[in-house]
Amino acid sequence: MMDTVISVKNLVKEYKDLRAVNNVSFEVLKGEIFGLLGENGAGKTTTLEMIEGIRKPTSGTIKVLGLEIKKEMNKIKEKIGVQLQSSAYYNYLSLKEILELFGQFYGKEVDALKLLEMVDLSYKANSYVGKLSGGQKQRFSIIASLVNDPEIVFLDEPTTGLDPLARRNLWELIAKIKDQGKTIILTTHYLEEAEVLCDRVAIMEKGEILKIDETHKLIESSKEPYKISFYAPKIKENALKQLENMGRLSNLGGKTNHFEMRLKTQTLLNIAISIIHEYKPESLTVGRSTLEDLFIELTGKRIEE
Amino acid sequence: MYKLFLADLKMLIRNKQALFWSLFFPLIFTFVFGSFFAKGDGGSGTLSIVNKSNTEIAKNFESSLKDTGIFKVQNDDSFDKAKELVDKDKVSVAVYIPEKFGSLEPGDPKKIKIYYVPTNRQAGSIIESFSNTYLTSVNMQVQKALPIFSVEKEEGNKPKFNYFDFILIGLIGMALMNSSVQGVAIAMSRYKEDKILKRLTTTPVKSWQFIGAEVFSRLVLNFVQVSLILLVGVYAYDAHINGSIFLVYILSLIGAILFQSMGFVIAAFSKTTDAAEGMSTAITIPMMFLAGVFFPIDSLPKWLSSIVQYLPLAPLLKNLRGVALEKNSVFDNPYNMGLVLVWIVIMLLIAAKRFRLSEE
Repeated sequence: MMDTVISVKNLVKEYKDLRAVNNVSFEVLKGEIFGLLGENGAGKTTTLEMIEGIRKPTSGTIKVLGLEIKKEMNKIKEKIGVQLQSSAYYNYLSLKEILELFGQFYGKEVDALKLLEMVDLSYKANSYVGKLSGGQKQRFSIIASLVNDPEIVFLDEPTTGLDPLARRNLWELIAKIKDQGKTIILTTHYLEEAEVLCDRVAIMEKGEILKIDETHKLIESSKEPYKISFYAPKIKENALKQLENMGRLSNLGGKTNHFEMRLKTQTLLNIAISIIHEYKPESLTVGRSTLEDLFIELTGKRIEE
Repeated sequence: MYKLFLADLKMLIRNKQALFWSLFFPLIFTFVFGSFFAKGDGGSGTLSIVNKSNTEIAKNFESSLKDTGIFKVQNDDSFDKAKELVDKDKVSVAVYIPEKFGSLEPGDPKKIKIYYVPTNRQAGSIIESFSNTYLTSVNMQVQKALPIFSVEKEEGNKPKFNYFDFILIGLIGMALMNSSVQGVAIAMSRYKEDKILKRLTTTPVKSWQFIGAEVFSRLVLNFVQVSLILLVGVYAYDAHINGSIFLVYILSLIGAILFQSMGFVIAAFSKTTDAAEGMSTAITIPMMFLAGVFFPIDSLPKWLSSIVQYLPLAPLLKNLRGVALEKNSVFDNPYNMGLVLVWIVIMLLIAAKRFRLSEE
C-alpha cells in the first residue's frame, strides 16, 4: 500500500457569484504523477492553488504530507515546489541568479548549473529569462520549482501553449522528476498528455470531479472501449444497417464512405471486422478508445483549445 | 533578506531605462535650471550699458549699477547696437549715458536714456527706478540739499539663498517622488502581473522580508539620487546648502519612504502595469507643478495654495528647504513634519490593507 501524500476532503471554494470548486475529494499517492484533467474554468487551478496555500478554501480540509494546510503551511512550503500557470520570473536577474536566490528563500545553497543541465539550459545560465523561448521558459519554470528538492511538485498546465516537440521534451523532463522519487500533481487540458504521463487522473468539470481512477482503468471504463475506423467505397447499404445494430456507427467528418464505429465487446468487434472485410476496405484501423473518447462520453463535449 | 536586498539592488542597477529616469532625468533638470538661474544675474537678465561719458558721476553710476547684482552687465560701444540687442532679445534692457553727462556745464546733456521692449517691462522698470533713485541722490548732492524723508531698510538675517538654491531642493523632492512612486508602483504591478508575487508566496519568504528588501534597495538608489543632485548643484552651480547635509539626507529618505508607500498603494489598486504607470503619472505630474518644486506655493491663488499645501510633496519640500536653506532644525516646523508623518501613516495603512502578494 502506497502512502498518501496529499489528501483533499470535501473541498469547496466559493466566490461571490460562483462555486469554483464544489465538494472535491481525492488523494495523491507517494511517487505517482496525478493529473487533474478538464477544460479551462473547470476548477483545476483553483483546486491546485488551494493545496499550494495560495488561495483559502471556503470549506473542506487539505492535508499535505500529513500536515494540515490551515495550521502548518509554513512547514509545508519547505517541502513542496510550485510551478504556476504562465508565470514569469525576475527580468533583470540571470537564470543562475534566480535559482540561487530562490534557493536562499529556503536557506539552501543551490547548484544552479546542475539544475540547468537537467533541462539543457546550462549555456543560458547567464542570460535573462526574457531571452528564452516559450519551451525554455517553461522548462526553467519547472526546475525553479525544484530548488528546495521538494517531495511534491505542483505543475499547473506545464505544456500549455507549447508546440508538440517542446511538449514532448517537457514530458520527458516530468518523467525524469518522477524517477527521482518525487510526487507530481499536474493540471492539463490535453487528454493525450494525461494519458501519456499520469498514473492516475481525475476528470473535472464545473468544479466537480466526474471520475477518478488509474488512467488505463479510466479508459477501459468507457462503455464502448473498442473503436474501428475504415474507408470502404464499395460497402453496401444493408451491411451498414447490420453494423449500426451492433454499435455506434458514425460518418467520420462527413467524408464519403469514411466511417468510425464504437463497440462494447470484443465479440462484436470481431464480427464487425469480418463484415467490413467482405467489402474490401481501402483502409481499416482497429483501436482502443482513448481518454478523449471517455471525456466526450462523460461530458458530452470535446475540450476546445 | 540580505540576499534578496542584494538581488533587488542588482535589478535596479540593471534596469537601465528606469535608472535613467531616476538618476539622470533630475540631473538634466539641475543642469537646465543651474544654467538659467545659478550665476550672477539675479534672474532679471543682462543689461547693456553704453557709457560715452568719463565724468565722475557717470563712472559712479555705471559701477553702482554693476554692484547691485540685479543684472548681468555688459558694455557696448553704441546705443544703436545696444538697442538692436534689446530688439533681438539678446539683452533685457539698454542704458545710454551720453558724452559729457555728469558735467555741470549748462549745454551738456542731462539725461540718461533707457531702452527696452514691452516684453521686458519688468527689467525696464527696475532699471528706471534704480536710475531715478540714483540720480535723485546725485541731484541732491549737487544742490547740497539734505533728504527729509527716507526709507530705512532691513534685510533678514536668515542665511542667503537664491532662486536656484530654492529649485535645487525642489528637484530633490521631485526626483524622490518620481522614482519612488513610479518605480514601486510599476515594479510591483509588473511583479503582480507576471505572478512573481504569487510565486513568492509559495516559498517560505515572508511578505515583510520581500517588501523590506525592496524598500531598502530603493533607499540606496534614493541616496545616490540625492547625492548626485547635490554634487552637481553645489559644485557646478555654486548652490548654497546652508543647513545640515545630514538632516537633508534624513528628510529625503523619510520622503522616499512616503513616496514608496504611495507606490505600493497604487500597485494595490491597479490591475495592470499600464494602469499603474498611468495612475502614478497622474499623481506625480500635477504634484510636481502644484506642490512647490519650481516656485513657492504662496505665489498660487489663495484658494489653490490652501489646498495644495496638503499634498504630500508640499510639506516635505517646506521641511527640506527649511533645513537646507534656512538652517532650521527638523523641529522648527512641527506642523509640516507632522503632515509628512501623517501621510506616511495613511499610505502605510492603506498599503497594508490592500496590497497583497496574491489574490484570494
